Amino acid sequence: MCMLPELIVVATALTVLVADLFLSERRRVVLALLTLVGLAAALAALLAAPAGSLFGGRFSVDEVAIWFKVVFLLASFLTVCLSLDQLDGRVKVRVRGIGLRGEYYAVLLSTLVGAMFLVSARDLVTLYVSLELATIPLFALAAWKRSDAGSQEAGLKYVVMGALASAFLLYGFSLLFGLAGSTDLAAIAAAVRPSPALFLALALVTTGIGFKLTLVPFHMWAGDVYEGAPLPVIAYLSVASKAVGLAVMFQIFYRVLGHMVKDLGPLLAFLAAATMTLGNTVAIVQRSIKRFMAFSAISQAGYIVMGFLGPDAGGVPAMLFYMLAYVAANMAVFGVIIFYANATGRERIEEYRGLARTNPLLALAMMLALFSLAGIPPLSGFVGKFFLFSIASKAGFHWLVAVAAVNSTISLYYYLRIVRQMYIEPVYPEAARLPVTPTLAATVAVTTVASLVLGLVPVFYEVIHNQTIEWLAKLVG
Amino acid sequence: MPDILAGLGLAPGIVHWMVLTAALFAVGLYGILTRRSAVGVLMAVELLLNSAALSFVVFNHFRMPALVDGQVMAVFVIAVAAAEVVVGMAVFVALYRVSHTVDLNRLDRLKNDEVKP
Repeated sequence: MCMLPELIVVATALTVLVADLFLSERRRVVLALLTLVGLAAALAALLAAPAGSLFGGRFSVDEVAIWFKVVFLLASFLTVCLSLDQLDGRVKVRVRGIGLRGEYYAVLLSTLVGAMFLVSARDLVTLYVSLELATIPLFALAAWKRSDAGSQEAGLKYVVMGALASAFLLYGFSLLFGLAGSTDLAAIAAAVRPSPALFLALALVTTGIGFKLTLVPFHMWAGDVYEGAPLPVIAYLSVASKAVGLAVMFQIFYRVLGHMVKDLGPLLAFLAAATMTLGNTVAIVQRSIKRFMAFSAISQAGYIVMGFLGPDAGGVPAMLFYMLAYVAANMAVFGVIIFYANATGRERIEEYRGLARTNPLLALAMMLALFSLAGIPPLSGFVGKFFLFSIASKAGFHWLVAVAAVNSTISLYYYLRIVRQMYIEPVYPEAARLPVTPTLAATVAVTTVASLVLGLVPVFYEVIHNQTIEWLAKLVG
Repeated sequence: MPDILAGLGLAPGIVHWMVLTAALFAVGLYGILTRRSAVGVLMAVELLLNSAALSFVVFNHFRMPALVDGQVMAVFVIAVAAAEVVVGMAVFVALYRVSHTVDLNRLDRLKNDEVKP
């Protein structure tokens, strides 16, 4: 029964929603626990269940799908861990207008279900519907702070841009359908030949994917949405939503266009170079840490896309590993950002001054995670970047590797801006040690250790590599 | 009616229909770019999604008349578009409650706040 993990998540979402009806406001703290148990059960079911397919091959689980689902489930688990303090009100500085815990978890779980179905879709219909299921709930989550005009504005901008991107994607799908005369992805892959209509379809679909993955020039929404939306939602957006974009890209560029993806190298290299350069240069001057993380996340998307270059099947495990490393590091950073916002309400980079004096361990975790994002050895971000850069280099895109290396250096500069505030700038007068809730401390600790261990112990990459290296060859045949 | 047109040799072919869907798409895009009210933008989004749905039906009719895959997709598109509009309108109503406007030109609270060199 290879659909069991999805069914568990759906059941958890419905249980949380119904339980929310019957529980008094004080007892609703258990909803987070219920969600976490459901997610853990789904993860266990995923790792225990064999690969297979259902509904005449319309829903199919292979090695790559399993790894994507691991990323989605881990990201959602960590997001719930990061959300529950704010939603339960265990904070010094209350977030204005946040609430409705039951609905929050149910909506979060429904976008997760969409993401999980998406990687298993083998059909345009399923692919489109599950992509929308993964996207539409995020509009509501971005606007979750009901009495906060910034959050509502973020929601509006996200709705408008998201709907526009989904329309482009859908029109591209309709052209693919018209060219192939079938909605089955394998049949489309067999039928399409290079033609102007195919290139138009590809351009439209790339627009839709670029929106999810925040590729330049389709990244416009990210800065504003990240600035306005609640912090845990941004954490989810920056990690899981990006993985959804990558999953759609796998579906289209590998499953449908697998035999011509190597001819698209120049296009992808241009997208990657533009994305990382713009993300990095704009991140340098940001003052708000939320907007800063938006542009940091944009530049990370640029690095990931490098994995699609070239005839080498090694791009598949490299991208999956980088995604895992990115989840660990980014969630650790967001853990500290959320801790600091919960305790003091401060969300500007210069307001992080002296954090190493008051909370040395959290500052250390933040520093390690930022170094992992920048790609400093021996952290996992370095290992991930190393594999991605070597893919681009093997494909002959040496200029892109040079651009990416320069970009990594720039990114180190702006990540060090935060480290400087934490370690060198004088501490606030009368600043005392800030209290940390156990869940937040555990989340930050686990994700930081994970971003260290993923880089130091080679076994993780080896497992991913061994399981997914054959995947592309089987697909293209 | 289509039979009469077909008898006169005037039945629209796939190219006519594709021009229609592309025109609908272009009109929707124009609406998104020019409308100042968020509700107007949502209507333009409906046009975009419906042009894609129409394109699925047209391709289904001309490419594989024996099957219904394109029609099924169109039904799903309509359902998804409804969900999108419901969430969008909910966000707009919530926004209107706090800021008393859904004029896109006046929603400039979120913007770059840069370090002065």
